Amino acid sequence: MASFKRARRTAANGAFVVFSFVTTAIALAVLAVILWTLVAKGFGGLNLHVFTMSTPAAGSEGGLLNAIVGSAIMCSIAMVIAALVGILAGTWLAEYGRDHWYAETVRFVNDILLSAPSILVGLFVSQTLVVPFHGFSALAGSVALALVAVPVITRTTEDVLKLQPSALREAGVALGTPLWTTIREVLWKSAGTGMLTGGLLAFARISGETAPLLFTANGNQFFSLSLTKSMASLPVVIFNDGLSAYDDLVKLAWTGSLIVAAAVLGTNILARIVTRERKPK
Amino acid sequence: MNAVTTETYEQFTTEPDAAAVKMRTKNLDFFYGKVQALHSVSLPIINKGVTALIGPSGCGKSTLLRTMNRIYGLYQGQRADGEIILDGENILDRKVDVATLRSRVGMVFQKPTPFPMSIYDNVAFGVRLYEGLSREEMDQRVEESLRAAALWDEVKDKLKNSGLGLSGGQQQRLCVARGIAVKPEVLLLDEPASALDPRSTAMLEQTIVALKKDYTIVIVTHNLQQATRVSDNTGFMFLGRLIEFGPTVDLFASPRAVRTGDYIGGRFG
Repeated sequence: MASFKRARRTAANGAFVVFSFVTTAIALAVLAVILWTLVAKGFGGLNLHVFTMSTPAAGSEGGLLNAIVGSAIMCSIAMVIAALVGILAGTWLAEYGRDHWYAETVRFVNDILLSAPSILVGLFVSQTLVVPFHGFSALAGSVALALVAVPVITRTTEDVLKLQPSALREAGVALGTPLWTTIREVLWKSAGTGMLTGGLLAFARISGETAPLLFTANGNQFFSLSLTKSMASLPVVIFNDGLSAYDDLVKLAWTGSLIVAAAVLGTNILARIVTRERKPK
Repeated sequence: MNAVTTETYEQFTTEPDAAAVKMRTKNLDFFYGKVQALHSVSLPIINKGVTALIGPSGCGKSTLLRTMNRIYGLYQGQRADGEIILDGENILDRKVDVATLRSRVGMVFQKPTPFPMSIYDNVAFGVRLYEGLSREEMDQRVEESLRAAALWDEVKDKLKNSGLGLSGGQQQRLCVARGIAVKPEVLLLDEPASALDPRSTAMLEQTIVALKKDYTIVIVTHNLQQATRVSDNTGFMFLGRLIEFGPTVDLFASPRAVRTGDYIGGRFG
């Protein structure tokens, strides 16, 4: 009887392991197919023109220079704004606000913002920064992207700071260091890897966002560095060209997708290397 | 455990020479929200000596220690009533600047809490905030502090390495070095050896004994032998009250309160 029970348990355990293995394999297979499609369809279009020429009209030769630069500019500005607001807000929630009703409210609203459809963010920024100034602008696009990134950074910052042992906080303060200095010099360092991961998640999220850009930065057929004019971006080019009837434009859209994926992957790997070096021996 | 009777709270304090007292709590009550954790504690702390606080878990020894640098102030709802006199000044007074107070009253915690930075920077961290030392002066201060904490010989060749890479015992002595680098007058030790192996504990105890000629030290400990080894005076606490206070030798050799005798005799706790 006992051996029967044991056999049943062993079988159940084996079945569970197999089940976990199969589901993991399915998830990985889907990812592999996506990546494969991306490489198969996008790699062929990679050439020097992609990086040196701006988006073409159908039928003529061109590249993605304006979209790559546009995406880089808008994502950078958005990340600077979002990191500033998100890190400070997350720190306040974790270290000062805590259970205060105002902190609870901010946390709740932040969670709503976290799951808000990004097209709403686009519409909102369009109403506040595009309509009043009578025109699309790269700045409006950056702000829209920042609004998407802020809740991600706020949330991860708060979470990783809460994971830090309270003894570390007390140890800093016990030296006569004001709490604010302790947070900056000790807690942020200690939580650095986690906060960086949060920033990367946010970057990965906004680098592929199309909806917030459609009504704000829109697109631009030409190379532009002006923050007050419309600006091209990779997601919007992919959105426009990917649905086009012209094969060369569709091909360019795939190449753009490959570049976005590579950029996100590249930053992730870079961050891993950087954080690994900072770990103690 | 016995029922709480009047006998439970009979209190005996051997009052030390007033001139030798560095710090003193007077009728100190402490509250975690609505829960009262300390009841009218009046404890004298001798200048340049070691005062040990012993008692069963939850008796309020750590709570008492945490009032002495007002570290409890980090948390909402924690409140101390009464007085704590440090050199004639009531440090519970609103006007007292807590950062300055904490630079005078240092603290080492139960678990080692090295900062995520180099060994050197760990020690220099608190000093940089209060003193503008030159490079040589700072090097000297760091060495001095590490020597005083009996850690110098083990780390002198790797000061630039992360403090997180040290062993638990070394980390705790690093925390002691960090605490004394800012030259506090009082050093609070909250069960500093409870996470250490016997060898590290012995080294830490030697450090404590060596430090008492310059510092006023208060140590909370669960280890009665440790209290007898390092301390000059001992306070026994029970259920948030200071039951007995006096020279360590007297308290352990001939306790006056029944509770004290039961506790150090191993009959409860």
